[in-house]
Amino acid sequence: MYKFKFADIGEGIHEGKILEYSFKVGDKINEGDTLVVIETDKVNAEIPVPVDGKIVELGPKEGEIVHVGEILAVIDDGTESTDAKPEEKSDDSDNESDEAGVVGKLEVSEEVIASSSEESTSSNKSERVLATPVARKLASDMGVDIKNVKGTGDHGRVLKSDLEKLGDSPQKNVDVQQQKLETPAIKDNNGDRREKISTLRKSVVKAMTLSKQIIPHTTLIDELDVSKLVDFRNDYKEMAKTQGVKLTYMAFIIKALAKTIKEYPVFNSSFDSVNEEIVYRKDINIGIAVDTPDGLIVPNIKNVERLSLFEIANEVERLSSLAKERKIQLNELQNGTITITNFGAFDAISGTPVIKHPEVAILGIGKIMKKPVVENNEIVIRDIAPLSLTFDHRIIDGADGGRFMMAYKKYLKDPLLLLMSWFYERIWCNCIRGWTRWLCSCDKGCPK
Amino acid sequence: VPIGKARMVKKGNDITIIAWGALVREVEKAMELVPNVDAEIIDLRTISPMDQDAIINSVKKTGRVLIVHEAVKSFGPAAEIISLINEKAFVYLEAAPRRLTGFDITVPLPKGEPHFIIDPEQIAYEVKNIMAFEA
Repeated sequence: MYKFKFADIGEGIHEGKILEYSFKVGDKINEGDTLVVIETDKVNAEIPVPVDGKIVELGPKEGEIVHVGEILAVIDDGTESTDAKPEEKSDDSDNESDEAGVVGKLEVSEEVIASSSEESTSSNKSERVLATPVARKLASDMGVDIKNVKGTGDHGRVLKSDLEKLGDSPQKNVDVQQQKLETPAIKDNNGDRREKISTLRKSVVKAMTLSKQIIPHTTLIDELDVSKLVDFRNDYKEMAKTQGVKLTYMAFIIKALAKTIKEYPVFNSSFDSVNEEIVYRKDINIGIAVDTPDGLIVPNIKNVERLSLFEIANEVERLSSLAKERKIQLNELQNGTITITNFGAFDAISGTPVIKHPEVAILGIGKIMKKPVVENNEIVIRDIAPLSLTFDHRIIDGADGGRFMMAYKKYLKDPLLLLMSWFYERIWCNCIRGWTRWLCSCDKGCPK
Repeated sequence: VPIGKARMVKKGNDITIIAWGALVREVEKAMELVPNVDAEIIDLRTISPMDQDAIINSVKKTGRVLIVHEAVKSFGPAAEIISLINEKAFVYLEAAPRRLTGFDITVPLPKGEPHFIIDPEQIAYEVKNIMAFEA
């Protein structure tokens, strides 16, 4: 017998609603088959089983909530032991064949709560905290949310001494900051309607509140002449179509962002405020904010620096349609390193985007419009794209943001540079003189 | 002796011990067995009318309670007193209030009484248990 438990599928997800079982009790099931579709706060996750066998028992009914660690199904896989070890299972499946790996294997997690303490405290608000009445009172007197306090008593019970220690340590301030602000109750007027928010909306609420509470946002707004880019796209749109690619501005925008990040890696990082360290991310995974009927979803394109323009365009198309159908896989939502939001799709000119924690920057693009511009004392018509760059002012200064913006504009202004920058970077020096590298005598460290 | 007025046998800060009648003496003896516990001992004198103020004020100060009585455990006065404490001094509690009472049996005839009555060692044991709970 193998007890298949709902594993921790990451992203701080602790529960999900069972939408549909694909099998009934008594059915035979093969390793890798989708047993059940579970709606979590972000995605509809298809959960594959790790073993072959016959289903003896199913977990909660359809429509009910299942928590991480609860049993989804009991599967008769021929083994005797009731408590099959997950390690053994994965070994078996590795030896057998690779054909089952299509859906992507999930590790079977025995842990009910995610090991990272930050995650377990920030989410799962319904979780009970053990504490005596007097400890609770002390916590509320101190203005500390007892859920954020790490208990040292039996079963993690929060002791009075834990709170007293907290009072002495500088960590107190952090916890006080993180405590939930009391919001005044909302009164209904005659004829008002109340509606429960969806799980997706709940996760947006959580993410946005967290971001605005802990990150000091700064937004830099700029305009950019993209006439060359518009021409370039118009020239190659048809060509791209013959290859089955819908060439959007988004692809250029993403490509240029990846290029700029290579010059300014701090924009592709996270700030670890506990250890006071900046975590520079190796991969450039650019998230794109997708508007879906249910709410905002931000899938990300992995390793953008390795993709060509057409590949990026395809990826954008694929991810946004998957997101709209709520068929996106979890790994496509995880590990984003920077985000782009396109409010130009709604004809908006400028906005102040909100950073997706734990990222440190988000780029907003407005609508590209024809505008009169003064050039050489003459008024000419140019295509202008408004840009808003929001960044975490704790680790990125305004000047850094400005430099980043300048570099970014350099790439978008001239799409050839964007595509040929491989060549460009190796031939021309970055300094103002614009000499070839081997002739340049600047101190920018050009390889001769 | 006034009716409905408790007697403060001994002032203390660690734990409130509530008793009446013959057991007040036993409690006093018990406290000699646990000299490191600074207990407040209340002789309730009458259980109806009950001196609620004396109980509540003392529990608010100490946060821990032991009620000792000779009557059987179920539906006894100790249950009543603990209810009162939960109603009026809940947030001051540092440990679950406990009671040390007679067994849930018909009270035996004098011959069997030594097995039934509460002795100081039992009281001291309970006090230690309550004090061991970290709030």
